[in-house]
Amino acid sequence: MKKVGTALLVAAVLGATMAGCSSGGNKDSGGAGEPKVGVAIYKFDDTFMTGVRNSIEKNASGIAKVDIVDSQNSQPTQNDKIDLFLTKKTNALVINPVDRTAAGVIIDKAKAKDTPVVFLNREPLPEDMKKWDKVYYVGAKAEESGTLSGQIIVDYWKANSSADRNGDGVLQYVMLKGEPGHQDAELRTQYSIQAVEDAGIKVEKVAEDTAMWDRVKGQEKMAAFLAANGDKIEAVFANNDDMALGAIEALKAAGYFTGDKFMPVVGVDATAPALQALEQGTMLGTVLNDAENQGKAAVMLASLLAKGSEINKDSVGFEITDNQYVWIPYQKVTKDNAANFK
Amino acid sequence: MEIRKVQNFVTQNAIYIVLAVLVIGIAVYEPSFIGLNTLQDILAQSSTRVIIALGVAFILITGGTDLSAGRMVGLTAVISASMLQTEEYGRRFFPDLPQLWMILPIIIAIVVGLIFGMINGIIVSKFKVPPFIATLGTMVAIYGINSLYFDMDPNQSQPIGGLRKDFTDLGSGSIHIGQFSLHYIVIIAIAVCFIVWVMFNKTRLGKNMYAIGGNVQAAKVSGINVNKYLILIYSIAGALYGLAGVLEAARTGGATNNYGNMYELDAIAACVVGGVSTTGGIGTVPGVMAGVLIFTVINYGLTFVGVGPYWQQIIKGAIIVAAVAFDMRKYASKK
Repeated sequence: MKKVGTALLVAAVLGATMAGCSSGGNKDSGGAGEPKVGVAIYKFDDTFMTGVRNSIEKNASGIAKVDIVDSQNSQPTQNDKIDLFLTKKTNALVINPVDRTAAGVIIDKAKAKDTPVVFLNREPLPEDMKKWDKVYYVGAKAEESGTLSGQIIVDYWKANSSADRNGDGVLQYVMLKGEPGHQDAELRTQYSIQAVEDAGIKVEKVAEDTAMWDRVKGQEKMAAFLAANGDKIEAVFANNDDMALGAIEALKAAGYFTGDKFMPVVGVDATAPALQALEQGTMLGTVLNDAENQGKAAVMLASLLAKGSEINKDSVGFEITDNQYVWIPYQKVTKDNAANFK
Repeated sequence: MEIRKVQNFVTQNAIYIVLAVLVIGIAVYEPSFIGLNTLQDILAQSSTRVIIALGVAFILITGGTDLSAGRMVGLTAVISASMLQTEEYGRRFFPDLPQLWMILPIIIAIVVGLIFGMINGIIVSKFKVPPFIATLGTMVAIYGINSLYFDMDPNQSQPIGGLRKDFTDLGSGSIHIGQFSLHYIVIIAIAVCFIVWVMFNKTRLGKNMYAIGGNVQAAKVSGINVNKYLILIYSIAGALYGLAGVLEAARTGGATNNYGNMYELDAIAACVVGGVSTTGGIGTVPGVMAGVLIFTVINYGLTFVGVGPYWQQIIKGAIIVAAVAFDMRKYASKK
């Protein structure tokens, strides 16, 4: 009986391993002549980064053989994966860091093996970027996403006299922030409000809280804001679409979006559910963080770096700033142009 | 008789056989897996894990459990990193802190781990709170404490970076022996394994730990001061988490309050696969080491051959359940 048990255990492990191999094995795409590029994403269950990941996979065809791994939102795990890529003699790395300050150690590791690195979406500190000339960054300027979402609210405020619900000439708003300390969260918060103030509109913050980029938490926080402040709120800023959609659910529960009871809600990312909400008229606007072009630029850069080719605007297809940065612009998305982004 | 011998051998060494089968299976699929480079990676990646797993093993053997391990790793990673930044770094946690002797923040972090471990031990032994609940509580509270510390001015929840080179070298540096580079953290881990092995096998603490886990009433009757030993054991475990937190910060060159999240579950899984009984009284250091290696081989090896992350989760889950199911049979058949 004991022997049977051991045999079963061994068989289970082997069976599972083989099943995994056969299913995972096909994921390697591309021919033999293409450079191998190791890609580490901060976590797989992030909506935006999944868009970037899909874009990398799609745009790699013909230019690189990509191996994409999940860092499970843990910097130590990501470092483990990077060690593995370097041991496997990958020709270039695309790293979406979990913590931006960890880039220094990653650059040291890569430099020791002369493997170029393209950082993606989370910008390393400038002093780390200066450590080596084969380090690049592809991403968007977070402040731009804030500015654009603020402008969407400005446009609405100026076009609708009823937007100033209590008629005091001041925009009362609530802010749903992403993870505290996250660069995007801080900058979006700051620049969205600054854009409103720059347009000559006075603002008053009714409430602000973190909903950790999360839809469920966005809904809970918004429900609490409504319970505490009722009709005082005139606009909702969310650092991303998931939280904005959560807020919309809470607003619906409080009777908004029926009849003429409307609340301007803006998010960032232009995810598929957000585009749907735009078309339904519940969400006022969002800002597209261009996943497609971020993925495309990152994999193109990595492929060129791996082959030792020259890096310039013509070879990459994107403008290179300060020899190391590729900035992918954000775009405003509202009901009028939502269909273009599907 | 011969068959019986083989059966016994297989039963007693099942984990090592599984480890060998895994390595051989991966190597058959991808021969370049067998090499010094992969070996040094696997050892380095197992180092902090084995230190945490040994801490958890202490507690599992007493018949307890520890859910707060991962959060303690996170707290001590942040504490050590906050005091080991370079003076040139633009965003220092303590802007006016002089360059300390490196050992000092490391000791502070280990002591913090020890104190929180002691608190766990006191809650479990003096207040008779079941370990699962006690450490669930401290797990949540320690994360809160860590987040408060991490959010202090002027840091305000920014990831702690710009760590000193002597500190990051501790985490990623190595001694070169021919082609092979032996990482410092591997040496530290091996030293910890040896010390813990001595504690388990050669000290009164070890004897009493097995006795408490085997039968707490019998231990009491035979004159063991159960409360004292429980507090001591939880404190030692806390100190080990403290050391692991320091090494995680050194290895990655940074720290955030999210470090160590869910490490306790990895550690418990490694212990259990390594033959530590969740009902107490049973467990060995080599078993825990093998358990940790099995999971590192899975993490590393399956990524190496290109198995998708979702499949890796399924395989890990299957191994945990299979190992415990098998283990239960082993002990059931003894009784």
